[in-house]
Amino acid sequence: MADQAAPQTALLAGVPGRSRAWMIWLAATAALALVAPHLLASGFGISLLNRMAIAIVFALSFNMLLGQGGMLDFGHAVFFGLGGFATMHLLKLADAGIFLPVPLLPLAGALGGLVSAVPAGWVATRREGTSFAMVTLGIAELAVAFVVMLPQWFGGEEGVSGDRSAEPALFGFDFGAALQIYYVIAAWALLAAVLMWAITRTPLGRLTNAVRDNPLRVDFLGYDPARIRFLCFALAGLFAGVAGGMQALNDEIVTVSNIGSAASGAVLLMTYIGGVGTFWGPVLGAIVVTLLQMALGTLTDAWQLYSGLLFVFMVLWAPGGLSGIILSHAPLLRAGLGHRLLARYLAVVPAALLTLAGLIGLAEMAYRLQAVRSGGAPGRLFGFAVMPTDPVAWVAPTLLLLGGLLALRSLAPRARAAWQEAHTLLARGTPR
Amino acid sequence: MTENTALALEDLHKSFGATAIIRGVSLDIRAGSCHAIIGPNGAGKSTLFHLITGRLKLDRGRIRLAGHDITGLSPHRVFRHGLARSFQVTSLFPRLSVFENLRVAAMWQARCGHAYWRSVAGYPGLHGRVLDMLENLHLTPRRNVPAAALAYAEQRTLEIGLALIGGAHTILLDEPTAGMSRAETERAVALLRRLAGGRTLVLIEHDLSVVFDLADTISVLAEGQVIASGSPQTVRGDAAVRAAYLGTAAEDLA
Amino acid sequence: MEGLLLVLLNGLVYGLLLFMLSSGLTLIVGMMGVLNFAHASFYMLGAYFAYTISVGLGFWPALIIAPLLVGGLGALVERYGLRAVHRHGKLAELLFTVGLAFVIGEIVPLIWGRPAVPYRVPAVLDFPAFALGGINYQAYRLFMMGVSVAIFAGLYAALARTRLGLVIRAALTHPEMVGMLGHNVPRVFTLVFGAGCALAGLAGVIGGNVFTTSPGMAEALGAIVFAVVIMGGLGSIPGALLASLAIGFIQTASVTLDTPLGVLLGRLGMAVDPHGALAEITIARAAPAVPYLLLVLVLVVHPRGLMGARAD
Repeated sequence: MADQAAPQTALLAGVPGRSRAWMIWLAATAALALVAPHLLASGFGISLLNRMAIAIVFALSFNMLLGQGGMLDFGHAVFFGLGGFATMHLLKLADAGIFLPVPLLPLAGALGGLVSAVPAGWVATRREGTSFAMVTLGIAELAVAFVVMLPQWFGGEEGVSGDRSAEPALFGFDFGAALQIYYVIAAWALLAAVLMWAITRTPLGRLTNAVRDNPLRVDFLGYDPARIRFLCFALAGLFAGVAGGMQALNDEIVTVSNIGSAASGAVLLMTYIGGVGTFWGPVLGAIVVTLLQMALGTLTDAWQLYSGLLFVFMVLWAPGGLSGIILSHAPLLRAGLGHRLLARYLAVVPAALLTLAGLIGLAEMAYRLQAVRSGGAPGRLFGFAVMPTDPVAWVAPTLLLLGGLLALRSLAPRARAAWQEAHTLLARGTPR
Repeated sequence: MTENTALALEDLHKSFGATAIIRGVSLDIRAGSCHAIIGPNGAGKSTLFHLITGRLKLDRGRIRLAGHDITGLSPHRVFRHGLARSFQVTSLFPRLSVFENLRVAAMWQARCGHAYWRSVAGYPGLHGRVLDMLENLHLTPRRNVPAAALAYAEQRTLEIGLALIGGAHTILLDEPTAGMSRAETERAVALLRRLAGGRTLVLIEHDLSVVFDLADTISVLAEGQVIASGSPQTVRGDAAVRAAYLGTAAEDLA
Repeated sequence: MEGLLLVLLNGLVYGLLLFMLSSGLTLIVGMMGVLNFAHASFYMLGAYFAYTISVGLGFWPALIIAPLLVGGLGALVERYGLRAVHRHGKLAELLFTVGLAFVIGEIVPLIWGRPAVPYRVPAVLDFPAFALGGINYQAYRLFMMGVSVAIFAGLYAALARTRLGLVIRAALTHPEMVGMLGHNVPRVFTLVFGAGCALAGLAGVIGGNVFTTSPGMAEALGAIVFAVVIMGGLGSIPGALLASLAIGFIQTASVTLDTPLGVLLGRLGMAVDPHGALAEITIARAAPAVPYLLLVLVLVVHPRGLMGARAD
């Protein structure tokens, strides 16, 4: 265990927050949030920022369960969506002339998330591990079925929509403009992130970590692990509801798809790719995945497949996610051991690119084949005109993939060995 | 049961299926004493601890802790009445630092409750209490290391620390020195002697030198029953004990 | 009366298909402790493989070849995927299978297209076996029932009575001991996982032509299969049968009931606003929620499921 555990656990322990560094981080983030829309100065840029902010809060709330508490919630979007519906109904009341300040409406989302997470958590948190996950799956299906059953409240297929700018202006702001709603959403994102971070440093936050690691021992230290799981679950539901409320204000519509399994899957993907072992991992994941989605979503139909493959890759070879990769390399770089890795890492890059090119080639060919079959045009791939109905066209990507995989088989273990070696050196305290 | 009984077991019974593991155990454990429970493998010692701490449900019998009936309570409720335990198989929080392990164990005593609105650093006495325990366990230099990365003997020491820091007046230790070297065992015994401080210790132990070093009362458990109980001297001289258990280890005692 | 009998028969067929599907997962959960989230994806692959094979060779070769292919694929997944994440714990295993389900769900439409494929019941069995209340009952459905019952009997006997079953059960609880006795434990796990996937594939071959073979079929049944396995008690074959039949009957019956919930509650003496939301929900519309409602109820009342032995 020792050689495996040393780098792994160092990574999981995270950085002990002894200094006041968090204040600097907070100030920097707030400043960045303030100027970001002016740097991007386009409708698309601001909508991207809004999506990121919503994703960050949602992913952080999900990680309160998965990363902090070891609870895999397959139905986390239920609280997100119900928070969204709650916000939307209040927004409609505001549209009808009742005075409700728009910037505060995500509070309704918080309440909606909390109120729905309490009964769900009451059932689910009696169990732990994989059984917990399965129960949340059942609850999620149940919630979707109920929402579909009650079109009077949830608008059926079309969902519920409202207009955030319809009410009388508040201090001259009507929140119809993209920039105005951006600042509302950014403020909520910052507030929610700070609160969730603060919760990790409270007794409940630490007990949640303890329950994740060893629920049995917690039971013998005066605390009921099920109760701790329940409280954590309710709070996570609350913050998911805030994210749902933010989304309701941004999109001005909430539908069944917001509570469905695809939305729950998306938050799992983001959080895991960012890394569940640190507080900031999900933030990174939300940013990266939202960017990828925007960039790839317009380029290719295969975006879903690629994100799925990326997820499987992470589970198999980088269970710490992006933040785990960063954390396991930062101390090496700081100790000046980077040069020991560079050559071996660079050797992997061409092999990885080959594999990737082969994989993408095959997937895109398959998509184009489907397009051709249904009467569409094959289009171009990597600048080449391709005819997917011709078997010869499949040879090149197949060869790329096989060649890349073969090269990876011999090169990847060497890179890994270099990494392990560097950590051994670091543990021994040998400089340079 | 008298005034200064810390833990009273009254006719405990437990079976798994058709196999009776605990068959009518009654014991009075005096407050402030160090009471060792010894016996051959499979005598039911660990099961007895599981029954006392609420991990397993009793079939029959009563358990009183300092006069309170704790029969049938779940482990965390038993703890709240003042009874802590350590485990034979080390049971820590592997990803938490040594400091955090101890702090979690001290939270109930520090009245942290389930608070999620107040920083854990702000509880009076909690921080100092953990630092003291770190010092006592000689783990101060290792305070920021995740428990999983500790050496075996350090993990065993932390295991004892988790049981001691919570402020319980009665502490059940399930083979605290299991797997330790001679030197490490001596250090652990010294640690227990130093930190016991008027508390009641109940000890399961295979290492008879530890037993005769620490315990002022010894009970012998064999086939789910207490076959002898008394001072180390009486137990050492008891013929039934020699026959049932100590036969091969008799020379250790002489 | 005949209508009721028809509902019962349809419920039985649906329940037995659920059992066929969940028996493979029950096997995997019971033997390996792995909740394979991608199980329904293997069911889908079974149906699609069978479709492709039956186009070329006909139904009967597909009945044999498709499950074997799916089983082989499952064995590869265990050997090169699951085994790698095993040391990271149960949650990592579950996450891996979640990712796998997602990827399979994307690859299938890539190969076979988004619309349903015309996978049909074989002509030899596509005749009315008997008529009930003027409705013909297809012989193929009787064949389905037969296969399901045979699987139940076979699995039950294999696990309870054979030496292999003994080794498998022992490998679960005492892997080191079984290893020392000269059995290759990792290979036993690979075999069990492959066999479980092959059962899912078989369910796909047999169920895909009665229901539809489309890329959404895995997602539609996936969660229900989990409900069955958890309700039945993790790892219990008889429990899975009981839960499958219960869900099959209740869901089939509720689909055919058009009574609004409000009327029903009114009959039970509850005051319901005749124009409110509740009054307009028919039982049929509530049908999709039934398995999960049952699941939650069972777990609240009896946390280990109907016949569960494993407590995790």
